[in-house]
Amino acid sequence: MSPGSGSADGVLPDLSGLRLGSADDAVSPHVGLRFGYGTNGFANHRLDDALAVIADLGYDGVALTLDHHHLDPFAPDLAAQVDRVRGRLGALGLDVVVETGARYLLDPRTKHHPTLVSADVARRVDFLRRAVRIAADLGARCVSFWSGVLPAGADPAAAWVQLRAAVAEVLPDAEDRGVVLGLEPEPGHLVQRLADALALRRDLGSPAALGVTLDVGHCVAVEPVDAAACIREAAELLVNVQLDDMLPGVHEHLEFGEGELDLGATLAALTDVGYPGLAAVELPRHSHAAPDVAARSRTALQRAVRMFAAPGRVSAAGGRVLADSDGVLAVSGGMLADPAGLDDPGRAWLDRGAAAVRDEPAAIRTLFPAAGREVGRAPTHPETDPQGLVHGTVDDAARVRLLGALDPDALAAEVPDLYRYGDDAEKRGVLRGLAPTGVPAGIGVPLVQDALRANDIRLVAAAMGPYATNLDDHSWRHGVLKCLFVGVPLDAVAGWRHRADPELRRMVADYAAERTAAGREVPADARRLLADPQEGA
Amino acid sequence: MRIFDPHIHMTSRTTDDYQAMHAAGVRALVEPAFWLGQPRTTVGSFTDYFDGLIGWERFRAAQFGIRHHCTIALNPKEANDPRCVEVLDVLPRYLAKDGVVAVGEVGYDSMTPAEDEVFARQLQLAIEHRLPVLVHTPHRDKANGTTRTLDVVRESGIDPALVVVDHLNEVTVGMVADSGCWMGFSIYPDTKMDEHRMVAILREHGTARVLVNSAADWGRSDPLKTAKTGRAMLDGGFTEAQVDAVLWANPVGFYGQSGRLNLDELPGFTGAAETFSGNSVLRGARPDVVLEAER
Repeated sequence: MSPGSGSADGVLPDLSGLRLGSADDAVSPHVGLRFGYGTNGFANHRLDDALAVIADLGYDGVALTLDHHHLDPFAPDLAAQVDRVRGRLGALGLDVVVETGARYLLDPRTKHHPTLVSADVARRVDFLRRAVRIAADLGARCVSFWSGVLPAGADPAAAWVQLRAAVAEVLPDAEDRGVVLGLEPEPGHLVQRLADALALRRDLGSPAALGVTLDVGHCVAVEPVDAAACIREAAELLVNVQLDDMLPGVHEHLEFGEGELDLGATLAALTDVGYPGLAAVELPRHSHAAPDVAARSRTALQRAVRMFAAPGRVSAAGGRVLADSDGVLAVSGGMLADPAGLDDPGRAWLDRGAAAVRDEPAAIRTLFPAAGREVGRAPTHPETDPQGLVHGTVDDAARVRLLGALDPDALAAEVPDLYRYGDDAEKRGVLRGLAPTGVPAGIGVPLVQDALRANDIRLVAAAMGPYATNLDDHSWRHGVLKCLFVGVPLDAVAGWRHRADPELRRMVADYAAERTAAGREVPADARRLLADPQEGA
Repeated sequence: MRIFDPHIHMTSRTTDDYQAMHAAGVRALVEPAFWLGQPRTTVGSFTDYFDGLIGWERFRAAQFGIRHHCTIALNPKEANDPRCVEVLDVLPRYLAKDGVVAVGEVGYDSMTPAEDEVFARQLQLAIEHRLPVLVHTPHRDKANGTTRTLDVVRESGIDPALVVVDHLNEVTVGMVADSGCWMGFSIYPDTKMDEHRMVAILREHGTARVLVNSAADWGRSDPLKTAKTGRAMLDGGFTEAQVDAVLWANPVGFYGQSGRLNLDELPGFTGAAETFSGNSVLRGARPDVVLEAER
């Protein structure tokens, strides 16, 4: 993440700190966010070439729009083609999600037709079922789809019923093949906003195989709240994310910085909710300059990730981050840039401290222990989280910012000792900083494991944040059970709905049975985990 | 009666003690680093202990509504063991910590040359870190040891207002009062001082610069001796304000010189905590659940 450490071509900063998972294992847990690029933004490239360019730029995966020239779902030798593309993705180390928004794939005369709300719905349903099979064969966990524009004169209520029935027809295929469907709210469509997608899902009985695809640019264009708020609302139902900029009221996919998206806050929200999937750039109208646009987008994403953990970027006005030197970005910091409760002297101390750490990394050794005395120790969300178990405390956030001022080498060098010699609060600060600063798993995971052996519930809570995605399944399940056992709120466990599996539910059910047998109350969070509709997902 | 116990070894105490202390009015305490019953043989044994004082023990106390602070040092007895002396090199890391409010316990056990050197060196550490010092006076040859202690303190150049000389009695109180250092008294069931002798000393010397502690540890001791001394003072005609000065304001004044006391009320133990009732997750303590996990 150091701006100075360039890649071979000297253009792109090294991203090794952000790509911590094993690239050839698409389901391995990763730290922080994984970025992809949509192949519909490479419409003028052969698919193989597009994949190579995207991989070379350092993306973690692709959002593959099935199209007549990109893995044609109606090709006579489809099976062989799928095998070949799967091999290609594997060789390049790319994860994949399947997109179904091709323009003239089903109808050469009418763009995007037929849809799930038009008369000839059967062809769209057939296509989606086909897409599910392709996704399963490719090793993609998600198929993304939209509802369609209500035809002129059509009755919205009837269209809703048709849409519901059509989705219900595709769901069994998805369930059978272990693929999840992502319904994408699309401006102008029957399902236009996140609330519509959530309503349809409820209408269908909240099936586990149906989630939400969120295009963060669409949030700017049509949602009543910003993208970060949409992400927090969708939270565990998010199965696919598309990244682009947009202007309010205008459905035009723009490069980052050209619209009003708060990219830093958006990425921070994705980190906060523990979103485990790909977040892929969606710029379908930029194919004419695809390699350059993809490179610029990559740089913007890296910069935003760095900035949402970078303390020097915070203005005194309230956490909004200044535009970057080249004016491309206006980023604010989500959970990391503006800890609630930070007063002016505290902020000034933190700004000075972060600058000192950037100048001389060893300065963090004396600043880290002093953070609580200087900025306070109050929980950032006192009303809902008085102990700071879920969202942390002001000093936690301050320490995370200090960590964010270290370059990757210094971070790797300092973090083990900051933890080893840290008091309870300093250890917490390290734990909460692991994911946002991108500490390599080889360094961070042993610290998380140490914290999970502790009985201090604040350490346990901090250990089960987003970085816990790096734990193996057994350790993670025991971490969750420990939370239930000692009274750490389940909400402190990042992404628990995504990762809770039948074995965890068995463990929790046994725990509940033990409590019941002893005549003791079963903790509400245990009941919540057992009752979650995602069961079996 | 609100109580700040300025010297108590909670690592050796049970949760029943914490509960009884909170019921008796204890809201804050200082746990000095000292020897365990069993001698240590490695530096690692010290650092794990220090980690407990700035981590687990602080958390444990918080479960019972008590703010825990500590002092860090190489104690005089183990200053004589060359396997332990290297711990001096890691002390600066700990002296920078939140909640570390003094260097201590330092001082003399057997008054050896090794103890001389380690004592003097740790007084310098206190000066460098701008921290107060908690000085233990020896159980054997106490009067002579206290005289020598005050000499070393004077030679170090540290401001006597930053030094408390502890475990005093009728014989040693006078010279410490004259030195300008604070006077510490450990009230024990059998040894050291008892609460009635303490009242007599307070009558003679007044309440200024006096700290009263239980020094409860792994031996026969009583963590409620502070409260009992407070009651003995009231029975002996002292006012509530004077009791508060000795049991609260004085320790706050002394250790407050570190700038690192945290006396905020703990969530779950204040009136405001009632607003969280009905949501057990938001209750600060959930002691029943935590106790279960400790085992």
